[in-house]
Amino acid sequence: MSRAIANETVGISGGREGFSFYRCITNTWFLYCVSLSVFFLVWDRVAAWRIFGDSLAQPLVVLDKLYELTQIRFAGTNLGGHIWASTRRVLIGFSLASAIAVPLGLCMALNRYTNAVVKPVFDLFKPMPPIAWVSISILWFGVGEFSKIFIIAIGTFVPCLLNSYNGVRLVEPELYDVIRVLGGKRKDEIIEVCFPASFPAIFAGLQISLSVAWTCLLAAELMNARDGMGFLIKRGMDTYQPALVLGGMILIALMAWLSSLAITLIERRLCPWKTGIENL
Amino acid sequence: MQAYKEVVVKTPLPLRILPYLSVAVFLLIWELAVRTGMIPSVLLAPPSQVFSLFIDKLTQPNPDGAVLAVHAWTSLQEALIGYGLSLLVGIPLGLAMGWFRVVEGLARPIFELIRPIPPIAWIPLTVFWFGIGLAGKVFIIWIAGIVPCVINSYVGVRMTQPTLIQMARTYGANDWQIFCGLCVPSALPMVFGALQIALAYCWTNLVGAELLAANTGLGYLITMGGRLARPDIVVLGMVSVGVSGAVLGFIIDCIEKRLLAGIRR
Repeated sequence: MSRAIANETVGISGGREGFSFYRCITNTWFLYCVSLSVFFLVWDRVAAWRIFGDSLAQPLVVLDKLYELTQIRFAGTNLGGHIWASTRRVLIGFSLASAIAVPLGLCMALNRYTNAVVKPVFDLFKPMPPIAWVSISILWFGVGEFSKIFIIAIGTFVPCLLNSYNGVRLVEPELYDVIRVLGGKRKDEIIEVCFPASFPAIFAGLQISLSVAWTCLLAAELMNARDGMGFLIKRGMDTYQPALVLGGMILIALMAWLSSLAITLIERRLCPWKTGIENL
Repeated sequence: MQAYKEVVVKTPLPLRILPYLSVAVFLLIWELAVRTGMIPSVLLAPPSQVFSLFIDKLTQPNPDGAVLAVHAWTSLQEALIGYGLSLLVGIPLGLAMGWFRVVEGLARPIFELIRPIPPIAWIPLTVFWFGIGLAGKVFIIWIAGIVPCVINSYVGVRMTQPTLIQMARTYGANDWQIFCGLCVPSALPMVFGALQIALAYCWTNLVGAELLAANTGLGYLITMGGRLARPDIVVLGMVSVGVSGAVLGFIIDCIEKRLLAGIRR
């Protein structure tokens, strides 16, 4: 992914030219504003004109609902408590899974025998969608905290492992040649080449598994929970409150976005040598 | 006279046996753990029982109301319709976003707003809007599949070699010609990458959609198994979802290989 971005496609606005109406309306920021305001306006109008009947709430009503939830205790805790309940599950499941999966993936890529033992069993589990585990984890661990963490861990395990495995395998062979020419041993190869070179891939895997983690969390909480953002959505669904459903969706999107931002920031600190497309 | 010698790469014997051995040991441990009562049989069904249930379910609609083929067909239908729609919308949108600045400016903010929402979060709204029929599930799968399509085709266009674009400009090609003749073909490998990713997303979210709101389908089979406390049904459902997902992925892979035969990756 180290090819240059087409410099033509990166919007260069040109030198200092005179004012032009056309350039003004095709300015990126102007277009962003137009698009967002149209989006919210359409949402608001569709809700106000009841095109979907009662089942869509106006944006302001949703915000109002969220604000109301911060003030009152809803099902035992206020909004912050619900957000924290979900976030804690994701954090525990995610760190458990990545702590096992990343080293295992590295081992599999570095050692043929580990690979021969683990890979076939892993391939059996790989195509199963993590959400399919929801029922069996409830059967095994009941409806408590652990069954939710289990689903999140299962979901995050696969992309973590796959990416660290592929990250090592796709290291450019020239790099190995360099370290061998410089007189490095197998140990140096692993520490000096494999780990740093596979870092970007590992982080890409963490990024993917984090978004999977939020999806799994939601599935688990929708099935049964007494707190968390999925619970808010489910309660909104059961009691037919679109504002609550939309509020829950917004919250979970916000948290997913924030956590992926956090991973990106950590990645920038830990491996500044990463190249690739930063856009999108 | 043969001009070349065939190179034989020998894998050591243990490396060839180990994969089969590990799967066999895994299945054996699973079977034994349940048979000997280490794991109670209300929690997990042994592989042999799952297999015999699979044979039964081919003809028996009990206890969840449909034979396996009906469940699989329902799921397949939903997944493929949603998948097709997401390709139809996502790929052109992503390609256009990569090349035309106006399209990017208009579509990007909305896309960025929708993207972080996990697709199954839409379930309640789709149930309100479309009921629990086909349309609601197709909508969720569509939302799930469209994200990787847009991202990959966008990045594919963005990664077009600048030299080629400049050359096309020198020869007097206009914007539209460059887009059709240069950016789209060079984005194709990325677009085909999206086919696989989108399929995986669609398949995952299909199960999610069916767990919550359905009356047939493989996801529904899993839910019913859980509700009836029948671990064999749950495992059978999981296995059939996994196998059919893998088969679909394999088919897409074959199509991809055929279509992209001449393109260097």
